Parts: sequence; C-alpha cells; structure tokens
Amino acid sequence: MEKRKTLLEKYNIPLSHLDFSYVETCKNAREMEKIVQILRSGEEGHFPDLQRCSEEKLKKLKPDSKLFRFEEPIQRSNILDKQELKPVLDWTHDIKSKDNALNELKNDMACLGLDVAPMRKPAKIDADMPSTKKQSKPKPAAPPKQPTTTEKRIRSTDYNKWDKYDPDEEILRMELSEERTKEQEELKNRPDPKPTPTSEEISKSEKEALHERLQQQLKKLSQVEKEQFAEKHRLRGNEYFKAKEYESAIEEYNCAIIYDPENAARAYNNRAVSHMKVKNYLAAISDCKACLQMEPENLKARLRLADASYAQGFRRESLHLYQRVLELQPDNAAALKAVELLKKQLGELAPTHATRLMIEELKPDASDKPKEKPKEVTTPVAKTAPVAKTAPVAKPATVKEYDLAELVKPNRVVKSKLVTAAEALGNKFKAPPASAPKKQTQPQPLTGEASTLPAMLRMPQANIKSSNKLLIQEI
Amino acid sequence: MDKPQLIEHLNASVNYTVYDTKWIPLSAKFVVLGSKANSQGVMDIYELNEGELVKVKTVEKKVAFKCGTFGASSLRNRHIAIGDFEGRLQVLDMERPELPVYNVKAHTGIINTIDAIGGNQVDCGAPEIVTGSRDGAVKVWDIRQGQSPVVDISPPPQMGDGINQSSARRDCWAVAFGNTFNSEERIVAAGYDNGDLKLFDLRSLSVRWEATMKNGICGLEFDRRDIPMNKLAVTTLEGGLLIYDMRYQHPTKGFSYVEERNAGRGVGTNGVISGPKATVWVARHLPQNRDIFLTGGGTGSIRLWQYEYPDKRVVEDADGNKTGVAGTLHMVSASTLSSQPVHCFDWHPDKLGLAVCGAFDQSVRVLITTKLNVL
Repeated sequence: MEKRKTLLEKYNIPLSHLDFSYVETCKNAREMEKIVQILRSGEEGHFPDLQRCSEEKLKKLKPDSKLFRFEEPIQRSNILDKQELKPVLDWTHDIKSKDNALNELKNDMACLGLDVAPMRKPAKIDADMPSTKKQSKPKPAAPPKQPTTTEKRIRSTDYNKWDKYDPDEEILRMELSEERTKEQEELKNRPDPKPTPTSEEISKSEKEALHERLQQQLKKLSQVEKEQFAEKHRLRGNEYFKAKEYESAIEEYNCAIIYDPENAARAYNNRAVSHMKVKNYLAAISDCKACLQMEPENLKARLRLADASYAQGFRRESLHLYQRVLELQPDNAAALKAVELLKKQLGELAPTHATRLMIEELKPDASDKPKEKPKEVTTPVAKTAPVAKTAPVAKPATVKEYDLAELVKPNRVVKSKLVTAAEALGNKFKAPPASAPKKQTQPQPLTGEASTLPAMLRMPQANIKSSNKLLIQEI
Repeated sequence: MDKPQLIEHLNASVNYTVYDTKWIPLSAKFVVLGSKANSQGVMDIYELNEGELVKVKTVEKKVAFKCGTFGASSLRNRHIAIGDFEGRLQVLDMERPELPVYNVKAHTGIINTIDAIGGNQVDCGAPEIVTGSRDGAVKVWDIRQGQSPVVDISPPPQMGDGINQSSARRDCWAVAFGNTFNSEERIVAAGYDNGDLKLFDLRSLSVRWEATMKNGICGLEFDRRDIPMNKLAVTTLEGGLLIYDMRYQHPTKGFSYVEERNAGRGVGTNGVISGPKATVWVARHLPQNRDIFLTGGGTGSIRLWQYEYPDKRVVEDADGNKTGVAGTLHMVSASTLSSQPVHCFDWHPDKLGLAVCGAFDQSVRVLITTKLNVL
C-alpha cells in the first residue's frame, strides 16, 4: 500500500520553514495557513510555542482565516443568569395573553371577512422547460411559421408550382424570419424590469393606494394584529436601512406608523435617521419631534433632532438642542463636540448658562419681529426656514400668552429692576407660565425655564433694550 | 463575550422520529411533526411554561407526517398545513384536528417539503401552499380551489415502457416561496436531488432561471418571502452552502453567489472545525435580521452565519448588463447539538433568538441565542 503523503509533502513546504525566524518574516497568508495546519496536525511533532507563534502571525495576516473557526460546546440555560433568562420568561407570559386574545378573535373572524386576495387561475408550468430565455424560442417562432408553412406548402405532385419555386428566395425568407425570432428572443432575454423596491419605480399614486388599502384593513384588525404588523414593518425597515436602501426603509416605517400610530415612537425615530440619510432634514426634524412627543426622554431622538437641525442650517436652534441632549446625558461626546463647534461658529461669547444665551440672541431681533414668535428663541438668526413651520403654531400661542400671563408673576429681579419697562410693555411683557411653551411647541416639549425666559423678555420696544440687558446680567 | 452564543434552553425526548418543528405564530407553543415506529403520524403541541416544556396536545393520524407550515394561515385562525408520507396535503385546525379543514391527495409520493405564504402578510397576494414531492412535481395549492392545484409544475410524463421511470424522475427535496411583495409577483424556488435549482415565476408562469449545483439540494430559503428577491440560501449534500444575491440577474451569467464548501463540516480535534464533510440540511434566516441565518448539519452541528453585503451590490459590464456582486459569509457561532443530523429548525417569528429544532436522535430542543442584536 502506498504511504499517505504527509501534509508537509502535500503542501510542498520545506521543513526549514517550521521555524520561529521564518514564521516571523513570512508575509504570505496562504503559506502561513499551511504551516499552522501542519503544526496542528502534529505530523512533524508537537511544538506548542511555535504553533502559538504562527497562529498569532496568521491572525495578523488573515484575521478571518477559516482555521480560526472553533466550535463551542453547547451551553445549558443554567449558565445564564436569572436576569438574562427573565426576559424570556416574561415574554412567554406576554405572548400567552396575546395568544389568548387571538383565540378569542378566532370566532368573530367569519363575520369580519378580511379581504383576501383572489385566487389565481389554475395553470401549469413545465418543469423541464428550459428557462425563459431558451423557452422564448419556440413560442414566437411558432405563430409566424405556421401560417407560412400551411400556405406555401407545395404538394409533391403539383409540378406547376414547383416550377415557380425559387429556392434562393425561400432561403432568404427563412433567414429573415430567423433573424426576426432572434431579435424577439433578445428582447425577451433582457431580465424583466423588475420593480425594485426603490420608490421612484413605485409611482406615487400606487403608494397612496396602498396606504388607503392599509387604512381600510386597519379598521378590521384587532390591536394585537396591528401591533404585530407594525412591528413587522418596522423590522423590515431596519433591514432596508442596514442594506442602505433608505427609500424602501422609509416606506416600511410609513407602514409601521400607519398600523400602530400610538406606539410608533421607535418607527418615527428610525424614519428620522433614514430621512437624514437621504438628506431630507426637515422631514427628519418633524419625525424626531413626533418621537419626542411620545418619549420625551429619548436621548437618540434628541440628538438626532439636534443633528438634523444643524444639518438643515438651524444652527442656533441646534446649539440649544444639543444642550438639551447634555441635560439628559452630560457626558455625551457627540453633543459636547457639537456644542463646542457651534459656539465657535456662532462667534459669540456664548454664555455657559442657557438663559443668558437666549437673551443675547434676542437683541438684534427685538426691533423687527417682537411678538410673532414667542417660542423660538433662536429663530431670528436661523433665517426664515423655521418660521414657516412654526408660524401656524405661534399665533394661538400668543393668545395664550395673554391669558396666562396674569397667573404667573415674573421674576422678582425683573420686576424691581424694570419698573419702567414693565409699564411700557403692559402685561405682554410678563412671562408666561412654564407650561405655555410646552403646549405650543412640540419641538421642545421640555424646554422648561429656558424657553419661558426669552418669552418674557421679548420686548416690542427697542428702547428698553439697555435696561433689559441690565436685568439679564442681574439674573 | 460580546458575540452571540447558542444555548440549549430546554429539550424533550420523544418516542418517534421528528421530521419538522414549527412555532405557532404569536404564541409560546410549537408543533412537532413526526412518524412513529409503526409509521403513524404524530403531531405534538408543546408549550413553554416557566422554564419547562409542557405537552399540550397529541394528535395521531394514520400516515406519518413529513413537513408543516403556518405560512398560509392568518393570525386569527393559525391552521397548520401538513404534508405526509403518502402525498396527502391537509390543513388542520389545532383546536379540532380530527377533521381537516382541507384535505387533498396532492402527490403520488411522499411530500418532502412544504412552504406557504400569504396568510400573515397584508396586501401580498393569495394565501398559497407549495409542496415538493418524490414524484418530481411541485404544486401550488390554494385551499379555496378544491381538489386540484392552482399551479402544477410537473416534469413531462415519461415516454417508453416505464421501467426506468422512477430513476429518471427527479425527486424534489426543497421548495421556497419568494419575491411576494405585491399581489401579482410570486416566485417558487425548487431544488432537486440531482442538484438542479429552478426558479418558477408564478406571474408569467414560466421558468425564470435555472442552475445546477454539484450536489443534491436539501434546503432552500429566501431571506424574506415578502420582499423583492434579495438573497436565496441553498444548502446541499456534501456540506455546500450557497448564498445567491437575487437582486440583479445577468442575462447570461444569472445570479451571482458566494459559496461556502465547509458549512457542514463537523468538529475535529480541539474544537477546530476540521471534521468530515456532511450534508447541510437546513438554512433558516432570522426573522428579525435577514442577514443572519443558521444552518443545521449532518453531524448534528449548528452554525450561525452572517452575510455581509459588498460595498457595491451591482456592477455594469461592458455591454451595460447589470451583474450582482455577492457579499461575504462569516461564521458567527458554531456548536454541536446532537450526534444525529439537525434537520429542522425554526426561529420564533416574534421573539429574537428563540428557536426550536429537531434532530434524528428523537428529541426536540428549544434554543436561545444571546446577543443577536449586537450583530
């Protein structure tokens, strides 16, 4: 019997290569793999140190080498902490209640009659038929040929006709028809213009129709089902997002929101990122706001809102928003960095305290648009874009301001220092209560004192500016 | 450790051969289908209950069960469609399993494989069931249709004396639905014992594409059934695993793919995966992340894979034809569950990381995979 080749012979590696100095200098990952395999096999003896050394070297050269695929023994669930196992147990509890809910629904299913797509017409596909490309050959060829052959078929006894028969012409004709079929084939060969999920191919009307249908379905579904479908769409959106197909992702998130608008915070949040990826910052801002309305403490949404505002060009607004992120997580690196950058960019002595900042910003604006925007502190500098969005909200808010101003006394300092100013302004000048801005603006549901202060200090008269500034410093 | 870990949470030994395991959607219950020693069919329903498995129900039928699916049933009725060893397709109500909701003699041979679609999805076409059988036929069923299939994909009847007929006929081992993203589009992929892979377009009723693997195809799954075709996982005998990128079809080259020849390889010494090659029985994509999937191998191994897309998924060649670019595969985690093949596996559709699998050692296992969300 022939002796089996050793790995050394098989890989054709000289024995001298199994050496520390060679392994150190080896640059060839494939060769390194072979060396490791030889050492692991133990055919040339056991050299634990050399093996370890060459494995490390291989890891450097080719970190994803197949030689590093190890199997782990299967673990039992007792290695898990109770805490780790708890979600599973909780989940079983949860799912059981859903299960029961569904079981109850089962009965009224008949009367509901969810619309199911119509049945397809019975048909056959020949499994051995070659795929469409080749298959297209007989199909187009058959119809044109048949008439020609039946018409032109000349009986063997019909000598008159045979006399007139011109073989060259016939050959030419056949060639032509062949070419034609070839062309048709080529046409067919082109892969179907498959509607890829990109939105440009799905026309808008179609989308709307889909949403309408979803809305109709919605009425017939129970809460459990709605949640289920919404979650499904959201997950699918996440997948599209990961695959960098943002348009499709947005479409999926839309569906998720339609199905379950009450619990759509995550879908809104995710849609915001997708919008940001396609550089649709205004949409991203509104999505973040929607998310924050449901989950005011959502750090990601806050940060995203700030990022989107910045990207859209609302720099002052975004500075404020970044600071709000820091309220939630003081050591958020991204926010800290952004704040620093923004402060530099804005080129002002940005005060550390939010309230001060507000006031300084307001100064230039005080003369031109005094009453209109009780909420947006930074808007005047941020050009016109945000105004368009906030304008409708702003009006009712001002009305509120009148009503509520009576309820809250302005800061004592303010009062004492600004008697004259207060007279001039009347109660318009007084600060609205903290709750006012919350109601009027969804963008900053938590602005609290920060936004109330500027509102209180928004002065119609430019001449009070100086005293106003004084007051601010006092504060 | 911050990579996923496969953990055997619970297991149950049974006194029959397990052929398929499936979670009942939106519940903590799963169904085990199998065959008793006297070749009677068994369907057991187990429920997770505070860290243990409770058998809720047992149903026995005359003929052994091979495969089942919930894909065509809505969340409200949750009927299971089962294919059995004599080619009968039946749809059972779990509450009243005695009398099938639908029952048809679908094939002349055993139904090897089944897949279904349209029940859970809204706006994704009719609920349909596809079966693949030893008789070589692939048939699509709509339970509203009655006793005949809505689409019959059979090889042409054999000519001649029929002596060699059985060997000439292909045996269909795997079927899968895909591309169902609206009410018209739908594709059935079928894999045969000779390594043929065929893609049938149910809209145009034609063969869309075909290819031949080196070995018989044991498992097929689209990463998602209800989106435009994205990826198709193909598993074969001798340890082959191929992931086709189904987004772009080149007129002549077809679809591009990434191949892993050692997917079924068992464990050798010291935990290094260097054992013999073995069949890859099944590939199942994670319902929560389509780029992660698990394969079950003939040595009782389970492997968790991650697919990474290339930077550009499509390139244009000189003729302006688009060609897909396949990504790469990473083995995320590996383990061995049993000494027998792990041939059926089902991720829970609603709980990330929870799964049930069956092996030929007459047992079912509930697995938990941790940290899947970090991938």
